Amino acid sequence: MRTPIAYFLILSSILFALGTVGVLIRRNALLIFMSVELQLNAVNLTLIAFSRMHNDLNGQVLAFFSMVVAAAEVVVGLAIIVSVYRRRQTVDVDAARDLRW
Amino acid sequence: MVGALGSEVVVAAPATGAMQLLWLIPALPLAVAGVNLFAGRKLGKGAGWLAVLAVLSSFGLAVASVLQLASLPGDARLFIQHGFDWFAVGNFTVAVDLRLDTLSATMILVVTGIGLLIHLYAVGYMEGDPRYGRFFAYLNLFVFFMLMLVLAENYLLLYLGWEGVGLCSYLLIGFWFEKTENANAAKKAFVTTRIGDTAMLIGLALIVAKFGTLDYAAVFGAAGSVLTKGTATTIALLLFAGAVGKSAQIPLHVWLPDAMAGPTPVSALIHAATMVTAGVYLVIRSSVIFEISGTALVVVTVIGLATLLFAGLCAIGQDDIKRVLAYSTISQLGYMFVAAGLRAYTAALFMLVAHAFYKALMFLGAGSVMHGMHEETDMKKMGGLIRRMPVTGWTFVIGALALAGLPPLAGFFAKDQILEIANQTGRQWVYVLGTLGAIISALYIGRLIFLTFFGRARTEEAEHAHESPWVMTIPLLALSLGAAFLGVLVQRSPEGPFSIWAESAVGTPPAGEFGLPVAALSTIAAAISVLTLAATWAIYASGRIDWMALRVRLAPIQRLFANGWYVDDYYSTILVAPGKAAAAFTASVVDAKIIDGAMNGIGVGTRRLASVGRKLQTGYVRTYAAAIFLGGVGILVYLGFRI
Repeated sequence: MRTPIAYFLILSSILFALGTVGVLIRRNALLIFMSVELQLNAVNLTLIAFSRMHNDLNGQVLAFFSMVVAAAEVVVGLAIIVSVYRRRQTVDVDAARDLRW
Repeated sequence: MVGALGSEVVVAAPATGAMQLLWLIPALPLAVAGVNLFAGRKLGKGAGWLAVLAVLSSFGLAVASVLQLASLPGDARLFIQHGFDWFAVGNFTVAVDLRLDTLSATMILVVTGIGLLIHLYAVGYMEGDPRYGRFFAYLNLFVFFMLMLVLAENYLLLYLGWEGVGLCSYLLIGFWFEKTENANAAKKAFVTTRIGDTAMLIGLALIVAKFGTLDYAAVFGAAGSVLTKGTATTIALLLFAGAVGKSAQIPLHVWLPDAMAGPTPVSALIHAATMVTAGVYLVIRSSVIFEISGTALVVVTVIGLATLLFAGLCAIGQDDIKRVLAYSTISQLGYMFVAAGLRAYTAALFMLVAHAFYKALMFLGAGSVMHGMHEETDMKKMGGLIRRMPVTGWTFVIGALALAGLPPLAGFFAKDQILEIANQTGRQWVYVLGTLGAIISALYIGRLIFLTFFGRARTEEAEHAHESPWVMTIPLLALSLGAAFLGVLVQRSPEGPFSIWAESAVGTPPAGEFGLPVAALSTIAAAISVLTLAATWAIYASGRIDWMALRVRLAPIQRLFANGWYVDDYYSTILVAPGKAAAAFTASVVDAKIIDGAMNGIGVGTRRLASVGRKLQTGYVRTYAAAIFLGGVGILVYLGFRI
């Protein structure tokens, strides 16, 4: 017997909420980054769950794409964090707020 | 009577011989103008001679074409040369076509012939000027535009020449623009004539609206059936407004006396012999329209008469030798308009030719006097010059006597015929006022020659004045021959050879059987000029009357005449001052407050809005993240509710 889709969706929602809260309340850029990954993986989980439900591999293919893009994004993001750190000796995002009024 | 053009069937003469080269007559001066404009500095003195050569070639071609035209039978004297199509808008096309008939033939002979003599004179007069080449470039350009004006076969090409000569007039009046008065005089001439030109342009638009074409042949051929009396009057008066501006008639005469700021050859060529007569040419050319109207002819006569008397009186009060001649030109142009208004087109045209000779002669003579007197123009400082500069002096006297209407000089026949036609066609008021004008003419010109050339020398400069070089005196001699013998040779009566030549283009002068016999009229005219000249001699040269004392006693009248009846002052109060006030209003209120206000308002408004809106940009990452998140939620909620 298959696990009902609802379980997957509930788990995914919890993961996504955790990620969102992490992005919103954390000040450390690395932790914000990890929270974003959590959100992405929550979505990937949803994709795979629906893929299984519909017996359609497209969902899983899309999850792979999503992981590849996430990896690329991590490269760019970490590079930015490194250069911010070199410049300010901190990865606190509240310190990097020059682009404002 | 409908003018000769009204019933015209266009039979173009066979295009052979010199006539085929008609287009070269305006093209040569244009080409040389281009050369002198760009290479005049390198050519040095050669620029002047090159310009003379161009006009000489044009004159030669003009003579050859006119001889060929004259060899044709009277009613076949018309040649139209198709150049190229200028532009076409729908069915309305304008071509660059040249028309050689006896009217334009007469005009091109005057323009190139007198133009040639004036160019020759200018070679001597302008010597040593730093912008020598440019002067001749402008002068040749003027000749080109003037030739286009008279040779045009449609109104638009005429208008091109018309505006072109206006431009050259502007450039040449302000030729010595370093002096502010000269630049202002140029501006005044341009703006004043523009007023007339604008009316004329409206007139042309009306012609297009009524006829669908601007070609002379088509317009004059259809005028009788297309135009009502009222429309004809409107068109004729609009065209006449252009003529009033160009020919310096009341009320647009104010620019011509100031135009004397230009070099003297320019005054002779543009402001005496050719450009200012363009208005007369226009009226003669458009006579068909004027005659359908009738009213317009009366307006032409009245304006001509008023100008004739008014400007004549102004001329009496002037002390500057060139300004006397300028007012005299305005006054003489008045005669031409009177003649045109009486439908005596041959008389108007003959007056135009004769006036071109004697007035160009006198302007060049005045230039020669200025040359010998270190640029002095005040006649009070002259006197006795005929002993120092005999050629200038005696040729000038011939011109002056011609203007005063002394028989048998050209001016006598020209003026007498106009008055004779007025008398015989029963317009006694024109005759009486015209005769009064003749007295005034003799008065101011007698005053001029006796003050300048006779009596004793009143200053050191006048004592030591010197004669001008031969390039300047040869044109004077040539012009004085024309001023002396033109009348005797070609037009001893209104039915003379000149009229017979011109009538294929402009029709025969009206005949009448009213009034006095011709012999009596001629005797009266001759007696008037002799007596008036004698009176001016008695006042200004006999030494028996202290004319300075007379002048002081008549001071208010003298000042009135000297200031041209204060017309300039009225214009500056009525027109110029409100104009300046309006300009100041638009500059300081409309532009500074309203237009700039709107622009600044947009800027300030944007900044105010931004000063509120920019608070949204906190710089905290989490603000942006929250915004994205809430936005995403918002979209989902919206989509959810839609389903």
